[in-house]
Amino acid sequence: MTDRRDFLKIAGVAGAGLVLGLRLDAKTRPGAAAAPEFAPNAFLAVRPDGTVRITVPKTEMGQGVRTALPLVVAEEMDLDWAKVEVINANPGPDFKSMQTGGSTSVSSTWGTLRKAGATAREMLKAAAAARWNVDLKSCRTEKGFVLGPGNQKLGYGALVEAAAKLPVPKDPSLKSPRDYRLLGKRTPRFDGPDIVTGKAIFGLDVRRPGQRFAAVLRSTVCTGRPMAWDAGKALEVPGVVDVVKVPTGIAVIATNTWAALKGRERLAADTTWELGSAQDFNSADLETFMREALTGPGEEARKQGDAEKALVAAAKVLEAEYSFPYQAHATVEPMNATVQIRPEGAEMWTGSQSPNKAQATAAAALGLKPEQVKVNVALIGGGFGRRLGTDFSTEAAQVAKAAGGGPIQVVWDREDDFRHDLHHPATLHRLRAGLDASGALTAWAHRIAGPSILHSWVGQKTPSQVLAEANGALDIPYAIPAIRVDYAEVAAPTPLGWWRGIEIVPNVFARECFFDEVAHAVGKDPLQLRLDLLGNQGLVKFGRDEADIRRLKKVLQVAAEKAGWGRKLPAGRGLGLACHAYDGRTYAAEVAEVSVEKGQLRIHKVTCAVDCGFVVNPAGLEAQVEGGIAFGLSALFTQITWEKGHTVQTGYQEFPLLRLGDMPEVETHVVQSAEAPSGIGEPPVPLAIPAVLNAVFAATGKRIRKVPVDLSAI
Amino acid sequence: MAAFTLTVNGQSHRVEASPEMPLLWVLRDRLGLTGTKFGCGQGLCGACTVHLGDAPVRSCKTRLGDVGSRHITTIEGLDPHGAHPLQKAWVELDVAQCGYCQTGQIMTAAALLAKNPHPSDADIDHALGRNACRCGTYLRIREAVHAAAGQRREVIP
Ligand code: FES
Ligand code: FES
Repeated sequence: MTDRRDFLKIAGVAGAGLVLGLRLDAKTRPGAAAAPEFAPNAFLAVRPDGTVRITVPKTEMGQGVRTALPLVVAEEMDLDWAKVEVINANPGPDFKSMQTGGSTSVSSTWGTLRKAGATAREMLKAAAAARWNVDLKSCRTEKGFVLGPGNQKLGYGALVEAAAKLPVPKDPSLKSPRDYRLLGKRTPRFDGPDIVTGKAIFGLDVRRPGQRFAAVLRSTVCTGRPMAWDAGKALEVPGVVDVVKVPTGIAVIATNTWAALKGRERLAADTTWELGSAQDFNSADLETFMREALTGPGEEARKQGDAEKALVAAAKVLEAEYSFPYQAHATVEPMNATVQIRPEGAEMWTGSQSPNKAQATAAAALGLKPEQVKVNVALIGGGFGRRLGTDFSTEAAQVAKAAGGGPIQVVWDREDDFRHDLHHPATLHRLRAGLDASGALTAWAHRIAGPSILHSWVGQKTPSQVLAEANGALDIPYAIPAIRVDYAEVAAPTPLGWWRGIEIVPNVFARECFFDEVAHAVGKDPLQLRLDLLGNQGLVKFGRDEADIRRLKKVLQVAAEKAGWGRKLPAGRGLGLACHAYDGRTYAAEVAEVSVEKGQLRIHKVTCAVDCGFVVNPAGLEAQVEGGIAFGLSALFTQITWEKGHTVQTGYQEFPLLRLGDMPEVETHVVQSAEAPSGIGEPPVPLAIPAVLNAVFAATGKRIRKVPVDLSAI
Repeated sequence: MAAFTLTVNGQSHRVEASPEMPLLWVLRDRLGLTGTKFGCGQGLCGACTVHLGDAPVRSCKTRLGDVGSRHITTIEGLDPHGAHPLQKAWVELDVAQCGYCQTGQIMTAAALLAKNPHPSDADIDHALGRNACRCGTYLRIREAVHAAAGQRREVIP
C-alpha cells in the first residue's frame, strides 16, 4: 500500500520531486541533419510529411505501453493512428525517471501526455487559423488535419514550420472523454507485426559491428568470489578471445555466445572459490527462524482497537499458519546487456525497467558522468520487476571495461537467471481471528515473518519497510472492530526484489484464504460474509492511502454474479473467491472454478471483475488480466529453495511454469468508472491463488495453507 | 571446426564451426537471424523453435553437425511480410504481450497446421503444450491457431 511511493522513489535514482521526471517544457533534440519538425515538447514531433513520432517514457515489457501511451497523445492531438511512429525515450535531462513498475505507467503519465498532445493540437490549430486568417474558434481538428470554415483543410505536416514559431500554451483545453475516438477502443499492440515476423529487437537481439559475446562465471553462492583460476582451457575453445576478471566473477569473451558458454564451462572446472557468508544459508533454517518470528516481537503495520485483548475476550479463536516460498521471475528472455565504450563516453543497449538507474550505475562503474552514458532501452522479454535491478547492466559495463571497450553483449543463461535472480522472498503468516458467542468476527491478527525486500534493495533497514512488507495485509478491507497487522523481519543473505504483484501476493493469499476459513467456521457463505463486512464503508484510510470500499464491493458483486456464485455444482467441483483494493487504486475480485479428481487439480475458469478507472485500451486490459492470472496460477506450483547458499532450482524443469493445457478460461468484466486510470498489470495476480485455494476447499473440504501446493494432500 | 552448407529460408550459407555448436547460435550469432530466441538452452521452453524440413525442432538442442541437408526455416522465412495466416491471426487477436516467446509459438503452430489443418483444442494443447509463455498469452495463442485454420471467430469481441 504505502510502500509504492517509497518504492518508486527508492528503486529509481531520481523522480522524487517531479511527476516521475516527465517535463513538458523540454523539447526533443533534433537529430543530425533533421528536417524541420514541430516538437513542442519531448513526447512528440510532427514531420512535414504528416507522420508523427511519439516518444514513450516507459519501458515496454508486454504491458502495452508502446501502444497505450502513444494513444493518449494521439487522442488529444487528433492524430491518424496509422501515421504514428513510436520510439523509446533515452534516460537523460528530458526523462529523469523512466522507472517502469508498480502498475503505474498509465496513471503516472496520463495527465502529462494528455497535456502534451493537447498543446500540440492547439498550436497546429492556431497556425492554421492564422494562415486562413479566420477565428480560431471556427477551426477544429480531425485525424491529422485542421478543418476550417468553408471546407478548408490543412494536414498537420503542412503546418510544421508555422506551428513551431508559436508560443506554447500553458493550459490547453483537454478533450472530453465523450469525444474520444481512440481511447477506450480496442487498439492492437503497436509492435504486433514486428513481433510475429521476428523483427522486434529485444536486448539479446542487439547486434553492433564487431560485437563480442560474454558469459560470466559467477559463484553459485551469492556471496562467493573466485580465488584462483586457470584460463588456459577456456582460451583453447575456438572463438574464445579473452578471459577477464570483473567484480562479479570472471568473464569469458568470445566471437559467439556458444563459445563463451563453452569456455565458461571449462573455466569453471579450473576455478576455486571463496564462498562467503551465505554458504550456510538454507531454506529449512530460514523456515525455523521465520516460525520463531511468528510469535516474537513485531513491528506494527496497522492497529485498530486492541486485537490482543479482543482475542482474549473472544468466545472462540481460530488460528492458522500460511506459507509462501521464495519465487523467481523466470522471464523467458534471460538477463543481458550490450555495452560499447568509446573515448567520449559509453553506450548501452538493454531491456531495463530502470533506465535512469542503469545509466547512473553504469556510469559509476565506468568512472563517467551519467550523461556520458547513453542508454538505449530495448524491448523486454519479460520484466515482472526483475529488470528494475541494474545488476546485470552494471556487470556488462564492467565486462566491457575490463575487455577493452567492446561492444560486448553479456548473456546470462537460464541457470544464471535462476541462481542470480533478485528473488521474491519467502514468508510465513500467523493469522488469528476472534469470534464472539454469536459468531461475529471481533478481532483479526496477522503476523508476517520473512526477509524484507525493501531492506535488501536499499541496503539498510528503513522506517517504511514494515508498511511495504505488510502491503496487502494491513489494508484488509473488512470492518472488524479490532485489527492488528505486524511484521517481523528475518534476515536472509540473498539479494531480493519485487516480482509481479509484490508483497501483496503472499499477504493477500494468507488474508483471503484465512477469511474464507472464518466464513466456513461460522457457517456463513464466504461471499456474504465479505459483503457484510465491507458493509456500508465508504472511503477508508490505510496508512497513507485511501480506498473506496464501495468500488471494491461492486467488483466483488459483479465477479460473483458473472461466475454464478451459489449455483449448484457437481461433486468435486467448487467455486472460490478473493478480492482486494490494490494500493487503494485498482479494485479487483476473482472467482475461480476448480475440480479435484484423483488428486488432479483442474482450474476450469477464472472470472475477474476490475475497476481501474478509465480504460485507455480495453484490448490491453484484457491481456493484462489474463496474463496476471496466469502469473498467479503459475506460482501455485513453483518455488525457489536454498541449500548451502545456492538455489536448488536451476531451470524450468524444477520451476514448472503454467503451460497452455493448464490455462483456465478467463472472463474479464470491467466495472466502468469515470476515475482517472489507475493500473492493471499487477492487481489480477494476487487474487488467483486464494481464489483457487478457496475453491479447492469448496470442492474437497481440504484447506491448503502452503504454496507450492502439495496435491497429495487432497 | 568444420565447414557446413546450410539452407536457411531458401538461401544457402557456408558456416565454419564446430559440429557441436547448437543451431540456435549459428542462426543468431553467425547468420544474424535473431528472430529465433534463446530462452533456456535446455529444450524446455520452445522459444528457439525452427523447422528442420517440416518438423519443428528446438534449435538449442539441435547440433549443427546433425542438420545435414535438411532445409531450415526460421520465423524470418515463414513469411517475411507477416502474411502467413498464423502471423495475421496473431496480430489480429493481439496475442503477444512481451512477444519474446511468440516466434517460437508461431513456428510450432505452423508445423502443426501444416500437418493438421483443422486442429482441435486438444491437438493445439498437445502441440504447443511445451512452449512456455511467462506473460500468459495462452488463451489467445489457442484462439489464433483456430483463427488461422479458418475456425471460429476472427476477433475477440
Ligand atoms: S531455448 Fe531452446 S527450448 Fe528453450
Ligand atoms: S509473450 Fe512474453 S513470454 Fe510469451
